[in-house]
Amino acid sequence: MRKVIYISSIVFAILGIAFTVLPMGTIALLPIGITIALASTALYLSQDKKRLMPKIIILVASLSFLVVIGKDIFIKDEVKVDQQFEQKKVESQKEDMKDLEGL
Amino acid sequence: MKKVLLMVLIVLATMVNAQVKPGERLVFVGSYNMSGLMTQIAQVTMQTNMVSTSKKAYLHLSWEAATYSKWDNFFKIRDYFESYVDPATFKPALFKRNTLEGKYTKTEKYIFNGASVTGTSKTKNRAVVPVNFKVSGAAQDIISMIYKLRTQDLAGMKPGQIKAFSVVFDQKEYPVWVKMIAVETITAGSLGKRPCYKMSIASKTDKLKGADKNLIWFTADALKVPVMVRFSIPVGTGQIVLSSASGI
Repeated sequence: MRKVIYISSIVFAILGIAFTVLPMGTIALLPIGITIALASTALYLSQDKKRLMPKIIILVASLSFLVVIGKDIFIKDEVKVDQQFEQKKVESQKEDMKDLEGL
Repeated sequence: MKKVLLMVLIVLATMVNAQVKPGERLVFVGSYNMSGLMTQIAQVTMQTNMVSTSKKAYLHLSWEAATYSKWDNFFKIRDYFESYVDPATFKPALFKRNTLEGKYTKTEKYIFNGASVTGTSKTKNRAVVPVNFKVSGAAQDIISMIYKLRTQDLAGMKPGQIKAFSVVFDQKEYPVWVKMIAVETITAGSLGKRPCYKMSIASKTDKLKGADKNLIWFTADALKVPVMVRFSIPVGTGQIVLSSASGI
């Protein structure tokens, strides 16, 4: 039982890290929360000698949690002005006017 | 000369339907369903402005979708659709599509000339292909259809009643049906809670999935501002919600 919970916590921790790195927003909190719950259970069920890894998993998940919250607070959703795209639009409009003039 | 031009522009502006004015700018937040959770990925902007040639004035309608910068490294989207229409009838004269979605690119230009459409099409790195096909006189492009819908009498439609359109997309003409579902009150972004017309869009194409899964809400007032869209397409589901509106 402990082993299943322990392995599951590792799987969710990997998922949590991946979601943290990707711009998934606060969705990443879901696998992180599950990781902390599973790793805490594994820690509770472990004997003294086997308690190090669940502790490390909880630490990693907690750090991921802080990163996700930090990103959510400090990084705003904004569109980067794409100069190439804007230039294309301007050129396209000039071309449109020529086409419309010909109609 | 400047005064004459100004007068002409004022007259043209009054010719435009009351629902759609030049200078209107609607900004939406686009979300995509990822593992059951809506994730905000892009900004969608709809804009209108008047342009005129030596012969005629046109209402320029544009639709732009751009991913937020944090997504650009993973899957960049820069889509720009534009249509030049008659300001009174919303009949398109010129439609252009410029699509950039990840590694996929497509540009199209359609010139509407009565019962035929001519222009060009280019997909990815392939050569530019000339386009020439027949259409019905009622054919619209996708952008002008959405705006034309706003000029229709939606208040007079009963639930289940349908309005039919004919839309040109990917060099084919598709019948499109817009069905009135109900009037319901929803949060319309910066406009606050508003009663809205909930309408379903369907077509004879595999580009739209499911029955009544592609929905659009317009404010139930004279302006008929589109405030929310829910879509179901082959690659997934998502929604677009109004975040700000100006010039309405």
